[in-house]
Amino acid sequence: MREITLSQAVNEALAEEMRRDATVFIIGEDVAEAGTPFKVLSGLVEEFGTSRVVDTPIAEPGFMGIAVGAAMTGTRPVVDLMFGDFLFLVMDQLCNQAAKTHYMSGGKLTVPLVLRTNLGATRRSAAQHSQSLHALVAHIPGLKVALPSSAYEAKGLMKTAIRDNNPVVIFEDKLMYQEKAPVPEEEYLIPFGKANIKREGTDITLIGTSSMVQVAEKAAEILASENISAEVIDPRTIVPLDEATLIASVKKTSRAIVIDEGHQSYGVTSEIASRLNEKAFYHLDAPVVRMGAMDVPVPFSPALEDLTVPTPESVAAMARKLVGGELIHAA
Amino acid sequence: MPHEVIMPALGMAQDSGLLVSWLKQPGDAVKIGDALMEVETDKATMEVEAQADGFLAKVQAAAGEQVPVGQVVAIITDSAEEAEAASPTESGPAPQDGPAASATSPTENDDLPSGAEIIMPALGMAQDTGLIVAWRKEPGEPVAADAILFEVETDKSVVEVAAGHDGFLAAVLAEAQQAVPVGAVIAIISETAPEAPVKRTSAAAPAASQQAKPATADASADPVARKKAPSPEPEARMATPSTGRILASPKARRLAAERGLDLARLAQTGVAPPYHVADLTVLENLGPRAPGVAEGTAVSGPVSSHISARVSAQGCTDFLDWAKSEAGSEVAADRLFASFAAAALRQARSEARQPIIVTVRRAGQNPVRFSDADCRRLSQSAADEGEEPPALVVRDMTGSKITAMSGMTGSVPTLTLGRDGSDFVLSLDYSAGALDEDQAVELVSSFAERLGEPLRHLL
Repeated sequence: MREITLSQAVNEALAEEMRRDATVFIIGEDVAEAGTPFKVLSGLVEEFGTSRVVDTPIAEPGFMGIAVGAAMTGTRPVVDLMFGDFLFLVMDQLCNQAAKTHYMSGGKLTVPLVLRTNLGATRRSAAQHSQSLHALVAHIPGLKVALPSSAYEAKGLMKTAIRDNNPVVIFEDKLMYQEKAPVPEEEYLIPFGKANIKREGTDITLIGTSSMVQVAEKAAEILASENISAEVIDPRTIVPLDEATLIASVKKTSRAIVIDEGHQSYGVTSEIASRLNEKAFYHLDAPVVRMGAMDVPVPFSPALEDLTVPTPESVAAMARKLVGGELIHAA
Repeated sequence: MPHEVIMPALGMAQDSGLLVSWLKQPGDAVKIGDALMEVETDKATMEVEAQADGFLAKVQAAAGEQVPVGQVVAIITDSAEEAEAASPTESGPAPQDGPAASATSPTENDDLPSGAEIIMPALGMAQDTGLIVAWRKEPGEPVAADAILFEVETDKSVVEVAAGHDGFLAAVLAEAQQAVPVGAVIAIISETAPEAPVKRTSAAAPAASQQAKPATADASADPVARKKAPSPEPEARMATPSTGRILASPKARRLAAERGLDLARLAQTGVAPPYHVADLTVLENLGPRAPGVAEGTAVSGPVSSHISARVSAQGCTDFLDWAKSEAGSEVAADRLFASFAAAALRQARSEARQPIIVTVRRAGQNPVRFSDADCRRLSQSAADEGEEPPALVVRDMTGSKITAMSGMTGSVPTLTLGRDGSDFVLSLDYSAGALDEDQAVELVSSFAERLGEPLRHLL
């Protein structure tokens, strides 16, 4: 199978959906000629013109509001938010308007909108351009949240997101834009709420999101060489969350580590770990451990920044402890 | 039906509104949507519209007055006549003057002077109490409405609070440096000079605060304390795991329960907690009963021993039947066993007057404790509610198909009683710390004798 980058995969997904459905359009900063700072959208304005690839002023609340209104009135906007960190600027349009309009209108209005943005540290972008803020929107009922972990996932999830009648926020990992993965030429969609078991194992379940799926897979490799069999699961979407697959896996392995690049406290790892504790308690042979990003502003210093996120080595070390029956956080 | 006009809640945390002016006069015809009055809140002055068609009457609050939210300020009547009829009340008793003064009666203390009650004000959004920093007036002193009466400290600042009423400080109900719940009455201002101004230290208003605090403390702390009380200190747990809580994973506990394994035995064999599923293999390999497994204290504890005996059940059955039919009193088997066990233990230990607690355990039932069951008539209750460990556990398996079972309950000597055909099978498990060999032999044989010929021993 051919291999393409995550950027190309997203670009393809958008182009295919824009050809398929004339109501799909892109709006955001530097989306047209510039094709975004990550060059994800290069070539789209040439094919679809500036009326469907709309450059806006630097005014996130403005273009987000335009998109919400456009979605309510019959189009399918794909909003490009240059950095996930800028979510704070569009919170009202996204969380108070887009997420609640269907409910508040008694089902009369829908907001079929996609907010494309990104997450991920270790790109030396400093504290205001390195955050992973998906937990913020996952908290709000009415929003779906997808976290593609590869080019293949990015394309399939994007196409599903565009066709969904609800607002969907997709977070791509900034570091993965140039990573290649096998992506079929023929069309495919990836359903929401269906976790992907990336690797089967019996001793411990490693649940990773976005680029942390790769961290979990590498950790599983390390553990395999030590005869520890790790199962790796990518939930793909955290809203909706495929709880059943996660619980079934933990019932099998009795142990779990949840790995996510958001800050560890009050985050995605906490939510998933808590559900496992509630629903698989009598199958647990060790505490469910969260591994998120350190609760600090992401440092610019490369040496420091690399310490803030989970790594294959740190995940493997924690897995070793859990499988070995070590006392975790002394009882 | 007359429509009541109330002071609306215009802000999120608004308790009262200032009635700036009336835009309609009593008797005026009003229509829904007509501006009735102007109200000033923290943020803005707003016009309040009429919610009913009719005639304005019974205006009860004057311009310039601070009116509590929800209070009726006027009514709208259906006809002009009604409005007119209602108007005399306008000149009736003085309208309520604001929240502080509204309650001149509800003070529980009859001996307090009458007057306007001064309450601890809510100065912050989420304030429960205010600390009185100082009183600026002495009891008995005359006060003007705008005079500073006391200072209050909140989370954020110290605020001076004006008296709000002209008169005399007739009662001071909370001391300086006291934290008083918001809304509690802390002073009374009387219209005339009080004969005997009241000054209380921490009685009236503080009572409210004390009431509030211990109540919440009880509610939250009690169940926790109750749960925690019986279990020893965490340090003690780790040191003597056989008597305390066992650290084990939920899955290990579940599997141990399903397979009938006792996690406490792992501690006795020296396996360090916490226990996981893998440790259950160790436990299973110990066998159903491990002679030589240390009991009680883990390291150099005494070895458990075992004695069995067999005795015909006929005597016991006959006795119970006789008791039922002849003596007319049905004797519970557990009561009888407890009685015999206590007597046998007393005999074995040669302790005539020591109190003896015996616990009888039956599968699927709560253990029952008996105190000195042998010293009371069988018809008399010997139930015991104490907490201390029993001297002996009688494991009654006679209601089941199980004929024999071994193992102690904790470190307490355990006498298992099974039924094998027409016989009782007795087995005693004990450690040297609790009984010596002679005592154990004596205990089993004398229990067996009693069981064989109950009447003889009871008589």
